[in-house]
Amino acid sequence: MTGAASITQEERDKKIREYLVYMENVTVRFGKVVALRDVNFSVKKNEVVGLLGDNGAGKSTLIKALNGYHQVDGGEIYFNGERTNFQSPRDARDVGIETAYQDLALVNLMSISRNFFLGRELVMGNRFFKFLDKRKMDEVAAHSLAEVGLRNIREMHETVNFLSGGERQAIAIGRASYFGAKLLILDEPTAALSVAETEWVLRLVSEAKEKGLSVIIITHNAYEAYEVSDRFVVLQHGKNYADLKREETNAKELIEVIAGRK
Amino acid sequence: MKGGIRLFYSRLLRVKEIGSLSGLLIIIIIFSLLSGKFLTRENFIGIFTITSELGIIAIGVCFLMIAGEFDLSVGSVFAVAPMIGALLGKIGVPMVGAFFVSLFASAVIGYFNGLIVIKTGIPSFIVTLGAMMFYRGVLLAVSGGFTITFMGEDTAFLDALGGKIFMGMRASGIWFIAATIIFSIVLNNTKYGNHVFAVGGNPGTAKALGINVNRVKLINFVLCSVMAGLAGFTMFGRFHSIDPTAGSLHELEAIASAVIGGALLTGGYGSIVGAFIGAFLIGVMRSGLILAGAPSYWYQGFIGVVLVISVIINTKIRKAVAG
Ligand SMILES: Nc1ncnc2c1ncn2[C@@H]1O[C@H](COP(=O)(O)OP(=O)(O)OP(=O)(O)O)[C@@H](O)[C@H]1O
Ligand SMILES: [Mg+2]
Repeated sequence: MTGAASITQEERDKKIREYLVYMENVTVRFGKVVALRDVNFSVKKNEVVGLLGDNGAGKSTLIKALNGYHQVDGGEIYFNGERTNFQSPRDARDVGIETAYQDLALVNLMSISRNFFLGRELVMGNRFFKFLDKRKMDEVAAHSLAEVGLRNIREMHETVNFLSGGERQAIAIGRASYFGAKLLILDEPTAALSVAETEWVLRLVSEAKEKGLSVIIITHNAYEAYEVSDRFVVLQHGKNYADLKREETNAKELIEVIAGRK
Repeated sequence: MKGGIRLFYSRLLRVKEIGSLSGLLIIIIIFSLLSGKFLTRENFIGIFTITSELGIIAIGVCFLMIAGEFDLSVGSVFAVAPMIGALLGKIGVPMVGAFFVSLFASAVIGYFNGLIVIKTGIPSFIVTLGAMMFYRGVLLAVSGGFTITFMGEDTAFLDALGGKIFMGMRASGIWFIAATIIFSIVLNNTKYGNHVFAVGGNPGTAKALGINVNRVKLINFVLCSVMAGLAGFTMFGRFHSIDPTAGSLHELEAIASAVIGGALLTGGYGSIVGAFIGAFLIGVMRSGLILAGAPSYWYQGFIGVVLVISVIINTKIRKAVAG
């Protein structure tokens, strides 16, 4: 679809200035595999983008390139008007990008609250000695997880190993939404969830939008995507395939597009 | 009431050191029954001296294992550090200075172990196996295979490291306890400790949440090696001499200590206090078997049995409380 070459310099500058995320000609290779080839992707401020595509289309790779998990082999990424050079997801988290990963959400042998605060631990103490504020971490984690509907979990000390797939996913999503300041990235958040839990996630996305955040939601379910997204970006074999506004399409059509029949 | 007992039981299981602690108690009871001389203060002070040198190594090894890596070169570093100290002492370098140079050298060895593992992706087991052989070879070559004795007057510092302090107890015991406390606090109560667990438990997740996995591993390789150097120096403090074969097999005993103490070979789980108990248990077995009149060959075999039994028990407990 629209490549970077097809827009004028002024249009490009304007987009970089105004958009929250602007990715241009992004290429990511894994050895010989080209996972993304010259992909363009953007997210406006306060926009919910549904990122769609078949298995292996490159969706996860795209968001990992955005948040510094992968380093790009080509292309430019802008966040909030500035060229990013995230060396690690830590840099992305520092500027307000939170990700709930499809495959890398939790450390099984660690407790719920330690997982919740991983990389963002609460500490107390003086300048020289800082210790984990375990009580506070337990409290905040319990509170936020109760808010996202995980009321059955009493013990924040329990390892996440014992939790169900849905509960684990809820922790990852709850964490992202707790820390997410500007952009929330959800990679297949509903894959392991029940109907009620799925509704909860979709509500969470809408709430984030109401709060002024932008959201990228990756899913295989076109109906879900259609319910919450303002726009849909479809990838195929690591390339841009379609970019549709909500008004221009419907869930049925999206399914056709994702399958490459349209 | 029954619920109360069950709650107590589940809390008890949750203590990571419970397996090793019960094992230690059982073995102490057995040996006390076998020999009247076992349960004496003198004997326990003796055990603690041996334990301290192994234990200081085990703490570093355990800390590194929790981050998901091995260091088999600790036994060689255990001898390299005091060897450097003795050689520097011989040419008139003050012992304090020689000590810090040795620890720095240990740190450099650890740093290179870590660097090679990170840069090449070769398992640390192999890299440090190579390092273990290499540094042992260097030691034997440099010393010609002979024990090097430090004849200097300047032994106050060495005594502070490994000399007798009171009631026959040696300074190394103090270092061992201090190291256990410090490493335990760092592991359980600091941000860094949380990162160590995460890096060993699931490096992908750790990276995805912004933790610098390689940095954590590198730091732990360095700390592990420095602890081995420190342990070697406490032995040097005890004997004022260094045998180039000292510390052989300590790498395996240190891993055994950590594992008896509940550490997982695959990383992400373990306890410093557990490693302390594990090292102590090994010391107890050594002394107990001698006092019970068993030929010293039995020692290794016995440790082997205890190691396997404790792993079976620890695994069962871990599966129950941590999944
Ligand atoms: N770390 C990696 N190393 C090698 N190849 C990879 C890696 N990550 C992804 N790939 C490859 O890149 C391509 C895109 O993968 P990606 O995970 O981004 O797909 P996806 O769209 O998220 O698919 P799914 O819907 O199944 O999650 C696939 O061919 C995949 O095999
Ligand atoms: Mg994916």
